Amino acid sequence: MLEVKNLKYSYNSEYQALKGVSLKVNKGEMIALLGKNGAGKSTLFLHLNGIYKPDEGQVFIDGEELKYDKKSLLKFRQKVGIVFQNPDDQIFAPTVEEDVAFGPLNLGLSMEEVQDRVEEALARVGMTGFEKKAPHHLSGGQKKRVAIAGILAMKPEIMVLDEPTAGLDPQGVVNLSALLDELNEEGITILISTHEVDLVPNYADRVFVLVDGKLIADGTPKDIFAQPDILEKANLKVPIVTDLFQQLEEEGFDMEGDYPLTISEAKDKFLKLLNKN
Amino acid sequence: MKFDMDYIAHHNELTETNPYLKLFLTIILLIVTLALDNLYFDVFIFVTMSIVILVIAKINIKSYLKFLTIPVAFLVITCLFLMFFFGKGNVIYETGIFGIVVRDDSLHYAVYTFMRVMGCFPCLGFLALTTPIAKILHCLANLKVPRIIIEIGLLMYNAIFIFLNEIDTMRKAQDTRLGYHSYWSSFKSLGALTSTIFLRSLDKSETLQFALDSRGYTGELPLYEPKED
Repeated sequence: MLEVKNLKYSYNSEYQALKGVSLKVNKGEMIALLGKNGAGKSTLFLHLNGIYKPDEGQVFIDGEELKYDKKSLLKFRQKVGIVFQNPDDQIFAPTVEEDVAFGPLNLGLSMEEVQDRVEEALARVGMTGFEKKAPHHLSGGQKKRVAIAGILAMKPEIMVLDEPTAGLDPQGVVNLSALLDELNEEGITILISTHEVDLVPNYADRVFVLVDGKLIADGTPKDIFAQPDILEKANLKVPIVTDLFQQLEEEGFDMEGDYPLTISEAKDKFLKLLNKN
Repeated sequence: MKFDMDYIAHHNELTETNPYLKLFLTIILLIVTLALDNLYFDVFIFVTMSIVILVIAKINIKSYLKFLTIPVAFLVITCLFLMFFFGKGNVIYETGIFGIVVRDDSLHYAVYTFMRVMGCFPCLGFLALTTPIAKILHCLANLKVPRIIIEIGLLMYNAIFIFLNEIDTMRKAQDTRLGYHSYWSSFKSLGALTSTIFLRSLDKSETLQFALDSRGYTGELPLYEPKED
């Protein structure tokens, strides 16, 4: 559905941020993009709806190439919704409802349609009742929800979130993950950049690993977290439960090459080990 | 207590009053006060509008005084200049420093300017403290004020809060490292803060542009009309 071919981009003659990235996202998938700070994740995201124009390479959606003319850009920006890392960068209007309405109004929809979409999007993220509030009076988690509503109201096919859990409290992270899960089940394809390796196996169908402007791995969480060399290159670590079971193996427990990634997998494995001994 | 004008505008007894009424009342009172140029009327307006703000809108007096402090400081400086450096009339007081004198017409200007402006503050305060900016901008848009002015107002309003936050954070960070411990370090810290704020604002404006473009910004901010209920 979304395809990127051999994308190269330089900020200046000395620094090439993307060194030929190719990737493919299928409809309905929920994908995590992992990589250390400065790996090029944000740069890559800004290519997906044509904010940045690559030096080389192409971006496709539903087989259609991004052409960087007005019409094609508007189409891509409707289909690919980007939620920025810092909601303050994205939310600019003096009230919540006006901010959520901004995208749909730019699409040239009728006022009734926009009103319906605003209502629906705010309800979807659990922010009904905040329509008239000033965004700068909201908490970080609430702002994030408003930012997501602003994108949802454009009815994108794929939603791209740049470190959505950064700066949220633990409960906020859990709520946001649940929301993204629900959206994904409703048919929106989701691409998330993140550092929270503990959460990744819970939601991601697939994981991309970006290192120094190159995509070095693409696979299921199970594949990726079983490859220590990749994790090391990307400054990542295995989820904390996996770490526990790897350490247990060193103590002489046989894991049969299968390390749990999530709490529920860990529980099953643990019970199995207990019953065996 | 921190003075947050926007918070006050959203939380007072007159927030939901018809914004057109407030806007027109403010404009008319401003024009009348400026045009009449009458000291008694200035005092009258100052007292009446202050009562409206404090008693009817129920804004607490500390916030109101804080709202007045900064513009009054400017006003005092302006009027001192008017008093000592303008006018061509008879000298009524000699300071004896560099031949600076007060003349009868300059004193008259200074006093009248001071009172007129003092009369206008509560009128503006009435609008600024009781009406959220979004409503004011909406009114202006419906009154066919050029879009460009409203858009600039909207984006400035947005930028002000981001700046205040940034300045607040940076100042605290400098303070933590004793950046304002002595006069000399205060000057240096303030200088650093100012230049950094400038660079950050460039950065922020670029990111805001990306965020707007990502949502299909066409160069004109569309106007949303909320559902009537």
